[in-house]
Amino acid sequence: MRTVSAAETVPTTYPWAVHAEGLRVRAGRHVAVDGLDLALGTGVHGLLGPNGAGKTTLIRALATVLKPAGGRLTLLGESVDGRADLRRVRRGLGYLPQQFGFYPRFTVREFVEYMAWLKEMPKAAVPGAVQRAIDRVGLAAKAGSRMKTLSGGMLRRAGIAQAIVNDPAVLLLDEPTVGLDPEQRLDFRELLRDLGVDSCVLVSTHLVEDVVAACTDVVIINEGRLVHQGTPDDLVAQGGEGDAGDSPAERGYSALLRRHRAGAPR
Amino acid sequence: MRRAAAGDRRAFDELYRRTSPWLLARLRRRCADDDVVADVMQETYLAVWRAAGSFAGSATSGSAVGWLWTIAGNRLVDAFRRRARQSQVPAVPLADTVAPAAEDEVLAGRVGHELEQALLVLPPEARQVLRAMVLDGFSVRETSLLLGVPENTVKSRARRARIALREALS
Amino acid sequence: MTTHPSPAVIARYADREADLDEVTVWSVEVHLEDCAGCRAQLAGSTTDDTLAMLARVAAGLDRDIVAGPVPARRRRWSAARNRWLVWHLVPWLTMTVAVLGCAVLLQALQPGLPSLVSLLAPVAPLPGVAIAWSRRHDPAWELIAGTPAAGLAMLLRRTAAVLAVVVPALALASSRTGISLALTLLPCLAFTAATIALGALIGVRLAAVGLGVAWSLAVVVPAVVTADLPTVLLPGSSGGWALLTLVLAGFAATRADNFRRLSSHN
Repeated sequence: MRTVSAAETVPTTYPWAVHAEGLRVRAGRHVAVDGLDLALGTGVHGLLGPNGAGKTTLIRALATVLKPAGGRLTLLGESVDGRADLRRVRRGLGYLPQQFGFYPRFTVREFVEYMAWLKEMPKAAVPGAVQRAIDRVGLAAKAGSRMKTLSGGMLRRAGIAQAIVNDPAVLLLDEPTVGLDPEQRLDFRELLRDLGVDSCVLVSTHLVEDVVAACTDVVIINEGRLVHQGTPDDLVAQGGEGDAGDSPAERGYSALLRRHRAGAPR
Repeated sequence: MRRAAAGDRRAFDELYRRTSPWLLARLRRRCADDDVVADVMQETYLAVWRAAGSFAGSATSGSAVGWLWTIAGNRLVDAFRRRARQSQVPAVPLADTVAPAAEDEVLAGRVGHELEQALLVLPPEARQVLRAMVLDGFSVRETSLLLGVPENTVKSRARRARIALREALS
Repeated sequence: MTTHPSPAVIARYADREADLDEVTVWSVEVHLEDCAGCRAQLAGSTTDDTLAMLARVAAGLDRDIVAGPVPARRRRWSAARNRWLVWHLVPWLTMTVAVLGCAVLLQALQPGLPSLVSLLAPVAPLPGVAIAWSRRHDPAWELIAGTPAAGLAMLLRRTAAVLAVVVPALALASSRTGISLALTLLPCLAFTAATIALGALIGVRLAAVGLGVAWSLAVVVPAVVTADLPTVLLPGSSGGWALLTLVLAGFAATRADNFRRLSSHN
């Protein structure tokens, strides 16, 4: 029989998987995230915002790749600013950057295995977890092909596979649907919904319809600050006749941005 | 056996023949929906076939059935996730009787007599959580998904179970 | 394994409808995990519709297996190879070896020069170490940066890969030109340790460049100009180099935490 460690039986005290208070993050010299307050729990959260709003910087800070310049950031109940035990937090994270590089000589399976090793997964669990991740993204037929032979959509799916191989409690995806054809995008939305059942998923995207279709919660940021957080229906309700956009959600989105830029209280 | 399964169809069929009844029986006691169980079985063995090379290559200890159960457990969790999304969570069967009937032999196995007594004392929900986490090896998140209870509830039940067991065994 | 459950109990376990108390179920399951004999017994006592179900699953399995590719044989060492071999280092290491080769040649042609090999030995590993930890040159940097394994251990692993090439090259070069091994290897190790130690404070790349430039200006150029070996490289200084290596390595170990965030100072 397997034994349960004492740590597992202690009730958690954290209410939010991701909790940011007054977060400030620099990207180079520019302060890309400026005083952001955010609380994310279980579910799929869509991150929307214009170019330069600080989406990628925010995701990189949440992935513990960038160190926050100020404010407080708590992931899975552990504070990650300043001196922190990053190893434990990182084991529960999954991250897919917008432009992710890879070693071209690796096969898909080797790539996911390498990432599983980097994430310090227990050795015995790795083959099963790798196969599971590959199956979940639909790359089972290509598991033995080299990364450099993959098309754009398949490459992105391999990236998603490495992000989910350790079954993370917090999954961060930066523009994951770039390069996917419409059918692949539908499959991806299914996968997102599955993942959102018991983990916290943050998906940054340009496509408002992706957000409405797959997300339980929408977060809009602009100029490094939070503009709005609410359900997709809430987003639709914000829009009116005069706002720009081809769909109700897009109209809501532009309405919110317009108000934020005008400085009106939301 | 596992070594032979890498690419060798006959060995794989043999593996299926020997282990599938066991896996089926065990899965059925975790999920009342036979369709889900059939899907999980199929996915499990397919994963074993596809990843057989990696299993053979890894130098870790662990029996074939141990791996099989790990994979099957993962697929069960995935199946529950898919269904939870559509609000069609399969039922989890609970045993009707709790105490062993007089005519059953007391099984030694690895469950000693004291442990049996201790298990009897526990409330059924705590026993369920303990079975999922200790016997099946699921994490807190996975247990909460499979049993349909919040994570904090899982943790507190597991803690109570552990304390009760420790008392009973000391 | 002491006693086995009776066949009747196993038959009741196999049959879902049959009444079996929880505690017995638990004992049976624990036992079945290890006992192939009882599993065979279980296989023998399956009901007809169970057999039908197993046959259906087998048929579906057969279809899926035939439809997909045959799994490839994995070489046992391929996973380990992926962790230790860092492909993007290869051009730089080749360059280092080539430079050492030129130094040996030059020494043979111009015996009057001070030992070029011992002058170059300290800076020989620096290009490799700098590249091993560089965002620009490591394609998967962004992915690695957020993993638990990112830290001093990984840097040391890659440095070991660099040294595995540089040290034999140095040994060969020094034996060709008749210099003591200690005098080339110890400065090399000392400078490697210095790069890592300094890298904890200002970033590995900057440290490597700084140390390389400082050494060239302060030692190499005067030595070549005056055709005299500097005091720091005279025989007898090996003790000093060894001590320096240990001190710097100790310092780097205390600063291990700094390496958790690859992006700091990089």
